[in-house]
Amino acid sequence: MRLWNSKKVLLCLVWFATPFILKAQDDNTPYNIILSPNNINSLSPDTILLKKEDTTHRPTYDKRIHRYRRAWEALIPTHTKLQYAGGMGLLSWGIGWDYGKKGQWETDLLIGFIPRYSSQHFKMTITLKQNYIPWSIWLGDNFSLEPLTTGLYFNTVFSDDFWTSEPDRYPRGYYGFSTRIRTHIFLGQRIRFDVPERYRKFSRSITAFYELSTCDLYVVSAFNNSHLKPDDYLRLSFGLKFQIF
Amino acid sequence: MKSKLLFFILLAVYFSACDMLETHPYDVHITGERNLTNKNIQLIESQMQGKKTIRFAMISDTQRWYNATEDAVKAINVRNDIDFVIHGGDQSDFGATKEFIWMRDMFQKFRMPYVCLLGNHDCLGTGEDTYRAIYGNLNFAFTAGNTRFICLNTNAMEYDYSEPVPDFDFIEKELNNLIPEIEKTVFVMHVQPYDFTFNNNVAKIFQFYINQFPNVQFCLYGHGHRIAVDDLFNDGIIYYQCPCIDKRIYLLFTIKEDGNYDYETVEF
Repeated sequence: MRLWNSKKVLLCLVWFATPFILKAQDDNTPYNIILSPNNINSLSPDTILLKKEDTTHRPTYDKRIHRYRRAWEALIPTHTKLQYAGGMGLLSWGIGWDYGKKGQWETDLLIGFIPRYSSQHFKMTITLKQNYIPWSIWLGDNFSLEPLTTGLYFNTVFSDDFWTSEPDRYPRGYYGFSTRIRTHIFLGQRIRFDVPERYRKFSRSITAFYELSTCDLYVVSAFNNSHLKPDDYLRLSFGLKFQIF
Repeated sequence: MKSKLLFFILLAVYFSACDMLETHPYDVHITGERNLTNKNIQLIESQMQGKKTIRFAMISDTQRWYNATEDAVKAINVRNDIDFVIHGGDQSDFGATKEFIWMRDMFQKFRMPYVCLLGNHDCLGTGEDTYRAIYGNLNFAFTAGNTRFICLNTNAMEYDYSEPVPDFDFIEKELNNLIPEIEKTVFVMHVQPYDFTFNNNVAKIFQFYINQFPNVQFCLYGHGHRIAVDDLFNDGIIYYQCPCIDKRIYLLFTIKEDGNYDYETVEF
């Protein structure tokens, strides 16, 4: 069952870059201006025009290189994010990409850590987070309010204590869930500050946010149990987003 | 006055917000009471000293049945004749830290001491670490009056031979350290012999050791979520299964001075 062969993976990596293919660098405008009949006439009679022999110009090659660059450029992260708590680690940091017509979509890849607390050892986690920010309201003075952010994230832990699929010692489907991979959903709000150009150093804008989230385990626990209250199964989380460009 | 009220409201919000800042579902970040097995054993041993009649309740497999567990605690609390409560294991379903804390906060409302065993679900993820921090050792024993209660981790499948389960060293130590005041013995475990999660290669040896103890009254276990009464080894030692809490039943045992005991199932 090889769903993911190398061609498909490559296709997934570059597909979003393909609609942006621009005309390769074969623009002849400067030549056209200089070499137009009028200009030639206006030149003094003793001017010698040396037109370079166009032997190195390969439009298909240029196009390919351009496409190649565009594909890799699309992978340059547009922001970094710092998040505190939220079931993905005590503190998580990572990179992310903004996209969509209004920049309403964001995907983050965060790395976090769990202190030892009362367990055997310290643990690292990785989170893949998808955000949807439908609205942005300009408040003036470089501030804007994003009244709703929502989305989901998947978290995985690096530790031998967990498994993705049940180890062989169990009968098939004995527990029927993965202890390693957690799915979380969240709702939140954000406030964005656009850094005035003269103060810009690394960030074009800085966004502060908070989120209320819960994970799959808590949803099924709260189901049919009025004993559990929202402050049992909901978690609070804070974060900062630094927009690079 | 108003500002004081506001201050307290803000303080309450702050503290509830602190509890809501979660590092990870399996972070083993424990707030509140810890080391509860030892604390409760001390209570049981001091309260039961010299007593010849022992009445205790058993609940088990409370995982993800928070409403039913809450009702069980209330039902047991309204009685005044129960000396202590034994939880047969599986208080968590996924081994997540908060599951243990939610359950512990309910059990802390028991008016009598209680002890909790380790269930197979409690071992998942970092569950065992959480169990150790909140309750204590996986194998433990206590004396109530003239009866020794030996509580064992029998979830062999979870350990996959990495640790001795059941731990015969522990059982042997118990056997060697018996004092003359102990006239009777009760064994408690989560998984019974011959369940596939038990290490069945040693089932008979396990029973052989059990038979070395003075006056074994019966063995108690959970795991199967239903009521069962079996003489598993045909040697006269009865294994009682405690149903899951969703069945809204707890077991009530009275070990009497005359050498007999009563077994009751109580619906709530």
